[in-house]
This record gives sequence, structure tokens and C-alpha cells, in this order.
Amino acid sequence: MSTDHASTHVVTPWTALTPPPRVDPYVDLSEFEADGDLMVLNLGPQHPSTHGVFRIKLVLDGEVIVKAVGYPGYLHRGVEKLCEKLTFANITPILDKNDYLAPMTSEQCFNMALEKIAGVEVPRRGRWIRTLLAELQRIASHLIAIGTFAMDIGGAIGGGTNLFMWTFRERELILNAFEELTGSRFHYNTSCFGGQRHDLPAGWDLGVIKALDQIERRMVEYADFGTANPIFVNRCRGIGVLGRDLALELGLSGPLGRASGIDHDLRRDAPYHCYDELQINVPVLTAGDCEARYDIRVQEVRESIRLSRQLLAGVPEGPICSEKPNIGPTSVRVKGAPAYVAIEGPRGELGTFLIPTDKGTQPYRMKIRPPSLHAVAVVEHLLPGNNLSDAVAILGSLDPIMGEVDR
Amino acid sequence: MSPELEAEIAALLADPPADPPADPPADPLQVIAEGMIVPAAHHHALATLLKAHGYGLYVTVAASHWPQEKASRKEPNPPPERFEVATVLRNPTAPGAPAFWWSVHLAPAEAIDSIVDLFAGADWQEREQWDLVGVVFANHPNLKRLMLPEDWQGHPLRKDYAIDTPHAPWR
Amino acid sequence: MAVTQDDPQTDAVTPDAAPTDAAPTDAEAASFAEAQALASAVLGGVAAPTALDRDSRSYSNPLLDKVISVPGLDVAVATVERLLDWASSNSFFIFPMATSCCGIEFMAAAASRVDLDRMGAIIRPTPRQCDVMVVAGTITVKMAPRVRKLWDQMPEPKWCVAMGSCAISGDFYRDIYSVVPGVDTFIPVDVYVPGCPPNPEELMKGLKRLQVKIGMQRDGTWQRSGMPAEARPETKSLKLGGLLRIGDPDRAAGLSDAQRDASRSLGFDGAEHRGADEDHGNLFDPPESPPASQAAAAELEATHES
Ligand code: SF4
Repeated sequence: MSTDHASTHVVTPWTALTPPPRVDPYVDLSEFEADGDLMVLNLGPQHPSTHGVFRIKLVLDGEVIVKAVGYPGYLHRGVEKLCEKLTFANITPILDKNDYLAPMTSEQCFNMALEKIAGVEVPRRGRWIRTLLAELQRIASHLIAIGTFAMDIGGAIGGGTNLFMWTFRERELILNAFEELTGSRFHYNTSCFGGQRHDLPAGWDLGVIKALDQIERRMVEYADFGTANPIFVNRCRGIGVLGRDLALELGLSGPLGRASGIDHDLRRDAPYHCYDELQINVPVLTAGDCEARYDIRVQEVRESIRLSRQLLAGVPEGPICSEKPNIGPTSVRVKGAPAYVAIEGPRGELGTFLIPTDKGTQPYRMKIRPPSLHAVAVVEHLLPGNNLSDAVAILGSLDPIMGEVDR
Repeated sequence: MSPELEAEIAALLADPPADPPADPPADPLQVIAEGMIVPAAHHHALATLLKAHGYGLYVTVAASHWPQEKASRKEPNPPPERFEVATVLRNPTAPGAPAFWWSVHLAPAEAIDSIVDLFAGADWQEREQWDLVGVVFANHPNLKRLMLPEDWQGHPLRKDYAIDTPHAPWR
Repeated sequence: MAVTQDDPQTDAVTPDAAPTDAAPTDAEAASFAEAQALASAVLGGVAAPTALDRDSRSYSNPLLDKVISVPGLDVAVATVERLLDWASSNSFFIFPMATSCCGIEFMAAAASRVDLDRMGAIIRPTPRQCDVMVVAGTITVKMAPRVRKLWDQMPEPKWCVAMGSCAISGDFYRDIYSVVPGVDTFIPVDVYVPGCPPNPEELMKGLKRLQVKIGMQRDGTWQRSGMPAEARPETKSLKLGGLLRIGDPDRAAGLSDAQRDASRSLGFDGAEHRGADEDHGNLFDPPESPPASQAAAAELEATHES
């Protein structure tokens, strides 16, 4: 357990690629489309490489994309409206379904907003468990991102399907641990207002350490895939370069932002949970291409494995949930001024803007800040100028979750 | 937030807006703090100022609908129907990576300036708020529905929209 | 073979209205009607074996019907059909209609731990090559016409598996303005796999149920066995947004047509979700005349009396 509280970051030396010039996503090409000079191609909403239901209208000049228009909303489930009808205690399980690859962070973010408004302090052990679960969730989520991206790129011949199978195998190890803890493979409903619902079972950490060892051993192969597989490298290096300025303006944070050189991580810069007690190395790459976006996830998984080991070694004693009179399974009362709370989810800054009602039992308005929405909005700026075949590579590297985009 | 920036924001807000809104908020010159109410005319200028001071990461925009409530004994003159638009920006390079949000109050037919020209990421977020809440963002280059089909009627996140509205022939 | 026909004119048909080419004998019709009555008694009047949706499910092919009316040939055809059933139930070509969280569990089922390949199931991303559609995830009003269109593109014979509460009934989103309360309101569902999400093992079990069903379906055992449609796992207390599932005798007559037209008129932009051009009448309120289930019951009574 490190006692050095000053966090540092690592900037890996990497060729800085010049981003292509900015494109105008609103350019009107209808005249040329009607002439037949340009071809319009519809990608999605049912397409394996859109990772969900997302539609892009591509305007092509031969093989080159000249305009891309994104259409989300095929999974709009009205979560924000639904939450306005529910009490605070009932909302957590709904938010699990938002980002279904990282439900842990979704539910933590909402409960942190409640705690901030109500001024409730979570006991140290509760925060510690939250930190641990968030890190394990990051590993599981990135594993899927790596596997599906590799499958988009390589397919059966390029070795991508192998990687897909492998990463799912590794993810199952973490899901097993979560299932042992909460009783569910995902959609855990384990964090609640004031702390955690489930305490760590005895001997749980031994299984997790074993799983982490196994994942770490196999991460070597995934890292190799990103550097040594010629098909993968040729399809990713220098493709879809996103410059730092554009990434900032587009509101990209998390792995996508860090792959483009934004040295920003809420875990280190604005610590929440127990992150101020840990030393976090934030990998930052400056290339901003598809390979960098793959690489950064591999590095983050390694970092999360390291953090999880530290966290497992030092779980403090104490209660897991704060004991206030207004906390009960059905009677959460939270009154106060609106607040915005953000945490570092696996896809970037995940935030909750919450206005409670006067009575303090329901949200009057709840807005979730979805990192994936910004990630898919990138396609309108990133795809023009690329070949059609590269569109799949770029989409895969963004790793959006449509449940979170559309909510 | 540094004192210099606070002073600049105070100076900006002290300027009378070019066309004062019909129903100015009670105290526009309150302390520069999270959640402060800014006149709609200053919204774009404030975003520009913050961007120049490093608040370059676009975070989110959240609009909410506040219908006029019935007069009660406690509140004989309830405020008229209004929309509140909260905008959040973040400074990723400053220590502590502070986020700052402010709120703009709008009358039902009033529009708010879009900040797409400053932050490209505001594009879809503002379209979503127009789609779901019905707040008009002036000067937005492509203000179309984002989440719902284009032939949808109404804005579902308004308080007077029934949650189980049918939509033939699918539900 | 004969009894699985559905009538091209109405949504809910009585046995007497089956196509003339392959009309069942009176005795067959009577036993069939009995099975139907039994089924509606068991399933609370929800499922009637012949009440299949027009355009959604039809094995009727005039040429085939002519051919097998040659004496003796039907035996050969039946053998071939049994062979085909055996083949198709052991080599599912699955079209994954994976929209949300259940889709991730579907991927997990296809990946290394559970591995659907073990039962000969292959996942193909295009509907033209597939015979089983697994609907995994919430279907919204924006997505529903697409799902229906993809379903219509799949070649016959085809089956549908509803995976997860969202696909079955809309889950807790069912009352929301944008969510379809169950895919069986516009696609005939063969197997329901409950759960939120169902474990991969549960999906595998559902596919095994489908194998059994396919084996029994074509020779009519399924229909005669009194369990024509799998019971939808739901309680009576659910409000279902005014829409009734396919096969429900009380379903509004124009609804299927409206859904089909809405899914056919999909374009890049514009009004595409309502079947805008045609007037399909009142889609939500039950018809004025007594519902078909009552009519069928009355008829059944009449047959018994005579
Ligand atoms: S049933 Fe549950 S897990 Fe499946 S799509 Fe619906 S909400 Fe997600």
C-alpha cells in the first residue's frame, strides 16, 4: 500500500500524428446526391459493427466518405422520464440498465449525487468497496471493448475472433466475482444511498486475486495483438486521427480523450471515493488514432489490475453504509439545491445533474451526462475523408454503449 | 475558480444586456457560484469567457420544465411557466479540474443562444434538449429531433406530457 | 400439414375458414376445434392455434398444396419434411436482434464459456440467411418497424425467440411513451426466455425448447397437443398499452396491416413510423362485434349440440 498521495502521470513517447483539417458536418450535399455524383449508404441501425442500434448515413464519393450523419435514438427508453416517476430508492436498478457494460459506475454516480445534495458521508469501508468494484468494472468493460474492436478489425482471418473469445473468457472471471457478491451477473443494484448494500463475503478476495493474476498474464497477448499483428496494425495505425483541440471541444474525456493527448482523469484530478489515498498512473497517448485508442485501453486495464491489488490488500474495517435516520430501503429523503456530480466511468466522464423535488423523495429532473453520446457524436467529424472500410475500424475504436447514448 | 476570472464574470454580468428580458431574474449579480442564474442575453458571452479561461471541456446541458403551479396560501402569486437551462463546463488542466455550471431561465417562447460555435460537442446535447424538453436553441445549425422519430408530436420531458402516451401502431 | 394454414382474409380465423385446397375433414375440424377450445381454456383465451397474423407466418404455398394433393405423395413429402425439421432444429442460423443489455448476454452465450456452436447454432448478421430471430433487448417505436422489416426479410420457415423481459413485455419500461410493450405485438413469438437478463444457460434452454417445438410443429402434433403457443410469462396485472399480442382474437383488425405498411415505408428521413398514407381505422379499441373468441365458443357449443 503506497503512502505517497501525490499522483503522477506517464506520458508515453509516441509519434504525434497531424490531425486532418476540421470538416464541416453540416455541409449541404443534397444537390450532388440528386445528380447521382455521390452515393448515399445507410449503415445501421442493425449492423454488427455499430455495437448496438446506431445508424449512420454516409455520403460517398467513390470509396471516400464525404459526409456522415449520425442518427441515435433507436434505444430511447425514456429513462429520465421514468426516474421522475420513481422514488430515489427505486432508481438505482434502472440506472444499471443504462450503461450495461459498466453498471457499477452508473449506479455509483447517481448515489453520489444524492449523497452530495444531502451532505451524507459514506463510511471509509463503503467508499473503499466502491473504489474496488469500480476498478474491477473498468477491467470488465475494457475487456469487451478490446474484444469487440478486435473482432471488427480482424474478423476470423485476422485473428480478431480469437481475441473476442479470449476477452469474454476473462470477463467471466470478473462477473463470477460480482455474482458471488451481489447475486447477479450484471445489473447489480449494490450501491445505495449512503454506502453499499452487500459486504464482501469471506474469502472473496482470494478468488479475485486469482482472477486478476490470470487476466494480467493474458493481457500480454492482447498487448501483442495491438503491436505485432500486421493486419491489425495496418488497419489501425494512422486511421481516424482525432486532434486534442477537437476532442476537447467535443467533450471527449476518458480513454478517447487520453488517446488524443488530453491529460485528464477525474480519479486523479478531482478524487472521489478513496482515490485520494491511491497513487494513480494515468496513461496518456498523443497519436489520437485507432491504435492509440486500443493501446490506451490495454494500459488502463493493467493500471486497474494494479490498483485492484492494492485495494484488495488494504480493505479497512467498519460499516459499509452510513447510518442516518433518513436512510431506509424505501424512505430516502434528499432535499437541497441541484447538484452536478461526475465520476470517471470506463468511457469517460459520467455525470448526474439532479434537481430533487420539494418533498425530497423523487427527482424533479435528472439528466445523465453520457460519455458515449459524445463518443458517437464524433463520427460526424471523424469519418469524412476516410475510406468506407475504415468507418468500421473507427466506430469500433470508439466503444459506445447505445443504452447510455439514448437512455 | 481564480479571483481574476470571477472579477471578469462579475464585470460581464454587470453590463446591461442589449435587450433586457421581460422578466429579469431577481438578482443577477449574486455571488459568482455554481448554479448562479444568468440572463439569457449573457449566456453566450459567459461561455466564451469561460472557454478563454481554460474551461474548454464541454460537459453537458440540462433543460427542465417548470409549469405554473396553482396559487396556494403559501404562495398566492406562483411564478409563471418557465424553462431552466443548466450548462456545465469543465477546466481539465487546472488543479482539481473544476466544473462550473450556471442556469438560464426562459419564458415559454423564449430562445437561448446555442454554443455550438464554441463547443462542437454541444450539437447533439442541445438537439436532445430540444427534442425532449422543447427548448429552442437559437443559431443552432441543425436543430432537429435526435432521440425520437422526426414525426413525433410533443416533448416528452415536459411535465404535462403523459408518460404512457400511445403511438400507433406500435404501442 | 393442413391445419397450420392461416386465412389470408382475417387475422383470427375459425377452423371452418381454412383454405379450401387443403380443407380438413369435418372430423378433423371438430377435433381441432376441441383442441383450440382446450388451448384457450388452458391459456386463458389468449392463444388460438390458427389465429396467426397475416403476412407474419404462412406456410401456405398453392403449388405445394396442389402437389401434395396427389394421392400417396403426401407420405413422401411428410418424410422429407421430417428430415428438414430434424436438420433445421439442429442447425439454427440465428439472426441476433440484439439491441441492449440482453444483447450482451446473448454475446456471452455465443462466446467462449457457453458457446452456442455446440448445438449447431451459427450467428449470421443478415436476415436472409437465418431462420431463427433472437430478439434480445428493448424494442422502441423507432426500432420496431426495422425489426418487423428484418423479420419479413427472413425466409420461411422461421421462428422467433423473445429473450428477456423487455422483449417479452417491455419490462419496467412498458409504460413509457417510446417503448413497445413486447415484440409479440408485431411478431409471432415461439419461445419466451424470461429474465433480466436471462443467463446464457437460460437462453440455451430456450433454444432447446424451440428444437422440440420445431419437431412437433410441422406434422401438427404441436397444435393438437393443446399447447399451440408458448404461454407468455406474465401476470394478469400488467397493463399493456392497449396493444394485444399477435394471435389474440380480440386484436384490432387493421393493426397488423398498419404495422406492415409502416415497416415497408422506411426511408432515410421523414414520417416513417405510422403507416402514414393509409387509414387503418381504430387500432386500439376492440371491435364492436363480439370478439372472435366468443364467436368461436358459441360455434363450438353449436357443434356439440348437433
Ligand atoms: S430485460 Fe433487462 S437486461 Fe434485458 S434488455 Fe431489458 S432491461 Fe436489459
